[in-house]
Amino acid sequence: MTDSGFRSAEDLPEGVSEHLGDLILALADNKRLLGIRYSDWLLGAPSVEAGIACSAMAQDEWGHARILYALLRDFGHDPAALEHERASGEYHSSELLDRDVGSWEEFLALNFLWDTALSVQFEMLAESRYEPIHYKVRKLLEEERFHFDHGQGWTARLLSAEGGRAALTEAFGAAWNACLCWFGPEDDPLIATLAAHGIVRRGAAGARARWLERVGPLAAETGLARDAGSGWVSTREPLWEGYLARRRRTAEGGPDEDSLARVRGDRNRELLMD
Amino acid sequence: MSGNGQVYEVFARKKRADRFEHVGAVSAPNEQLARVYAWQTYDEAKWFEMTVAPRDAFAAVNRPQAPFTLGGPGGRAPSADSR
Repeated sequence: MTDSGFRSAEDLPEGVSEHLGDLILALADNKRLLGIRYSDWLLGAPSVEAGIACSAMAQDEWGHARILYALLRDFGHDPAALEHERASGEYHSSELLDRDVGSWEEFLALNFLWDTALSVQFEMLAESRYEPIHYKVRKLLEEERFHFDHGQGWTARLLSAEGGRAALTEAFGAAWNACLCWFGPEDDPLIATLAAHGIVRRGAAGARARWLERVGPLAAETGLARDAGSGWVSTREPLWEGYLARRRRTAEGGPDEDSLARVRGDRNRELLMD
Repeated sequence: MSGNGQVYEVFARKKRADRFEHVGAVSAPNEQLARVYAWQTYDEAKWFEMTVAPRDAFAAVNRPQAPFTLGGPGGRAPSADSR
């Protein structure tokens, strides 16, 4: 294998293009949906500052999704159709984002656990031999640093509060398996192919370990992770039942009706004029 | 929630050669969140550098109270009793 890069999806080896296209679509859809979940808290967050942070994070996520959808043109997709014309079951977003979340603790499970899981997958693409994604990933990760700090800062705050810990433990517990599965099974052919060709830096297990390294220290306080000496590990094995490899989720279905209308921008399009 | 914590003063500069200016203040439960809030709230410029410090860290020199209690230079810093 040479170290030379690939300038476009066309240059990618047989099979790799399809897998990378699937991965980018999953990242794009998750970011689009996550942006909506962030925007849900503009007004309901615990402080004005937290509301502003949610607004900024929502804008970041929508910006990232836009860039990724545009990138999919290189893979033969029509970005406009991807953004506006798909049915719920065609979305490659997590079941965690299918409907709005009811509490600040559930929000933090998305902000700290899920957003970090997405960022770790982008870290794996930071030195990708697929060159068009390089610069985009670097800037995206710079912005995501603040999302991580927000999630971690609030998680630490709730863990130190009477009553906060129990609700947080429940919310994190409910989201944990989806996060573990996001990186794929150890023998995931999709990620293994991408890793073998230098498209992603590490395989599924390596990416999951990196995620645990980032969220483990605080997740340990909810009993979900522990320090094994050589690194942070999950105290639960991932449950793969129902796992859909291409959509990178463990449940059929997709965004609910309200989420779908918002994610596709249906109301914006009603206002379009000829 | 009384979790807004304490007030942090925000300072920033646009270029390395500039002096820091006081751009405002944020309320946050801890320093990590203060950094996030400062960066996302005072995003009117492409700052070269931004820093935050707890209001309590400032010692008054010639007046009885530490500064910033009546708002920052931009008038955007919250007053102590608006928390």
